Amino acid sequence: MGGKRRKNDDDSDVEESETAFSKRKKTVATEEKKDQLRPSMIKNKEKRSEVHAKLKHQKKLDKRAKAKARDAAVKKALELGEELPEKKVPRTIENTREFDETVCKPDDEELFAGNDADEFSSILNQQQTPKILITTCRFNSSRGPAFISELLSVIPNAHYYRRGTYDLKKIVEYAKNKDFTSIIVVHTNRREPDALLIIGVPNGPTAHFKLSKLVLRKDIKNHGTPTSHKPELVLNNFTTRLGSRIGRLIQSIFPQDPEFKGRRVVTFHNQRDFIFFRHHRYIFEKKEVKKAESKGKKDKDGKSDNVPEQKVIARLQECGPRFTLKLISLQNGTFDTKGGEYEWVHKAEMDTSRRRFFL
Amino acid sequence: MPRTTTLECSGCPPLRALTFDSLGLIKVVEARDKQWAIPQVVERWGEPESSKCVMAVSMIDRNSQPLLAVARKNNEIEVLSPVNGDIQTTISDASGLDDRSEENNIVGLHLFGKQNSELDSRYCTLLTCTTKGNASIRSIELADPSTRSSCIDSPKTWNVCSSGNILCCKVDRDENFALFGGKGVEINIWDINNLTKIWNSKPPPKNNLGIFTPTWFTSAAFLTKDDHRKFVAGTNSHQVRLYDISAQRRPVLSFDFRETPIKALAEDIDGHSVYVGNGSGDMASFDIRTGKMLGGFSGKCSGSIKSIVRHPELPIVASCGLDCYLRLWDTKTRQLLSAVFLKQHIMHVLFDSKFDLKGVDSSLPSKEKTQTEMIPSEEVEELPLKRKKSSRNKEHTEDGSERKKKSKHSKERKKSEGKDEGEKIGSRDERRKSKLKKKKSSSISELLFG
Repeated sequence: MGGKRRKNDDDSDVEESETAFSKRKKTVATEEKKDQLRPSMIKNKEKRSEVHAKLKHQKKLDKRAKAKARDAAVKKALELGEELPEKKVPRTIENTREFDETVCKPDDEELFAGNDADEFSSILNQQQTPKILITTCRFNSSRGPAFISELLSVIPNAHYYRRGTYDLKKIVEYAKNKDFTSIIVVHTNRREPDALLIIGVPNGPTAHFKLSKLVLRKDIKNHGTPTSHKPELVLNNFTTRLGSRIGRLIQSIFPQDPEFKGRRVVTFHNQRDFIFFRHHRYIFEKKEVKKAESKGKKDKDGKSDNVPEQKVIARLQECGPRFTLKLISLQNGTFDTKGGEYEWVHKAEMDTSRRRFFL
Repeated sequence: MPRTTTLECSGCPPLRALTFDSLGLIKVVEARDKQWAIPQVVERWGEPESSKCVMAVSMIDRNSQPLLAVARKNNEIEVLSPVNGDIQTTISDASGLDDRSEENNIVGLHLFGKQNSELDSRYCTLLTCTTKGNASIRSIELADPSTRSSCIDSPKTWNVCSSGNILCCKVDRDENFALFGGKGVEINIWDINNLTKIWNSKPPPKNNLGIFTPTWFTSAAFLTKDDHRKFVAGTNSHQVRLYDISAQRRPVLSFDFRETPIKALAEDIDGHSVYVGNGSGDMASFDIRTGKMLGGFSGKCSGSIKSIVRHPELPIVASCGLDCYLRLWDTKTRQLLSAVFLKQHIMHVLFDSKFDLKGVDSSLPSKEKTQTEMIPSEEVEELPLKRKKSSRNKEHTEDGSERKKKSKHSKERKKSEGKDEGEKIGSRDERRKSKLKKKKSSSISELLFG
């Protein structure tokens, strides 16, 4: 590119000024680079590859030296008991996310007022216990029923109703009359669950999720079988307005008074707009720490202090299904595809940047 | 650095818009710069409360004593001043109609501007219409807000429909005729002066499969200022229809727009283009004479559009809805000028066209204005963010202009080498002048000189 530009310089003045402008903007590092002969400027292939290999090798050495220096600094700091040098945080897509003004702020009274007024507040304030109706699409077989039986074990107070040939709107009516608080519809395509519809019942919103990467319990190695205790719920990273709304929708499915005795955790972890579902049982174990050290002590003191140092560690055992959700649309009111008003719909034109997230 | 695409919003000419949201808050959005500015929330009226969700609004937009009426979910109507948000009077419906329930909310509201001016300025006349079809016209005295004022004369009430739900209610510009339509209600036009139904639309015939789509009007708008005979209506079955009273009872023209119900309609001042917004956040403008789409308004609008308003003078159209944004668009280029995040579902938006910059400029340095700005806590947070954005934009523009300047420098240097001294100086002067001007004008001057 640079070579070409240089050629063009003589032709047009505008470009010259432009390059001058860009040159000024560039940092010192690039100026140094300019002095060197860049391999792409060499036309002879043999020579070019030679220079390129050399450069690459040099880069590798530099990198190694840098790492070495860093390690040495850490070691030195450890020895002297100083503070460790700051670890550089790698730049990821998440932490270079596009600025989003809809991210909830902790001291936003309008947000709290909005939350108090929304459809889930009666459940989340424990005035109402959640009661869930689970149903399927019209045709349901193979992994669908298996998934539903596992969902039933995950969500307390969930009831499975066969879909039959009822319209979803009729089912919503039925659920309203029977005091259900939400409906979950598992949609199956080609004997594989591929979509999840969560409907808040009296007048709550309807969220349509794409369901993927479903792993059932029996396919998880060393899985546990969940007890019937009410689980604890972990919702991670639901930061924006839309995210908090989805978070509250999910929260309203589960009872708000977990039984800690059961040590069950259900996690909904949002990362880059994908919501990962995991279901675990945890256990706190007391373990002796650093046997090698204690052995050394034994050698020195001769079994004088028999009390081993103990440390509490948490261990996890996965139980229940594992799946990933992605929000497709959030509709105001109960299920109504023809006349419904959407609060949020995913559109193709939104995906112009990898660093834009909506949840 | 990561490559990020920022939405390029050029900003708006000075304007003032009022937004009404689902928590009953009224927010004033103003763009104050003389040139192109980023609009900001400058004031917030009311306290967040879900029962005060705004159902319908109406404003008399005039220089002296403008008025704003807001109908809320708890069936209260407030009359306020759109300048400073002072509540002039509140009417609860005990004084109005008797059979009001949760289901029977006010959906249509109109403040009469014409009749009001004839009467004493202390009175205003209101047309209200509820979901069940109870319409009423009443005059209210604008007393002080502490006392609940009652109507001076008994309200004229009538029933628009026997069954179904009214969803849209509009009054034409001359304020002689009112239009009602809704779910299961064909569009009626009433003569307000003597309360007679003058026209009733007829549903389109069954289609070739013999399927009849049920009547469900969601929005309507009179097409031109001086003509009450032509109006546009949007239906739940995503159809936009043009009716002409003088021609026939069935729609003169109808066309489909996307797949979700039409939720908002607005007419342009030119009288032949309409803006259509639907339930999944798509917005487009149509030429109603031909039914052809002029173009869509695209800009990451993801929530249902609740209201579209055309600015009476400037070429700007505003849309708002469930995505919590107020969006301002250019009517010609259909580009997004600016989007303001307003935190709640916004039910309505209105333009205050009598907003002039001079008044604001003179009042800005004064302490009163700044104090009122600082009171709501959000403003303090929001302002720096907005400012940042605007400053970033400014940098961008500066960059661009600088680059342009430089390129011009070199160009002119080359050109002026051959020429004599005097002209050089002249050209430089011209350049200095053109710096201040916009890109276009500068390039024109360059053409003239070079």
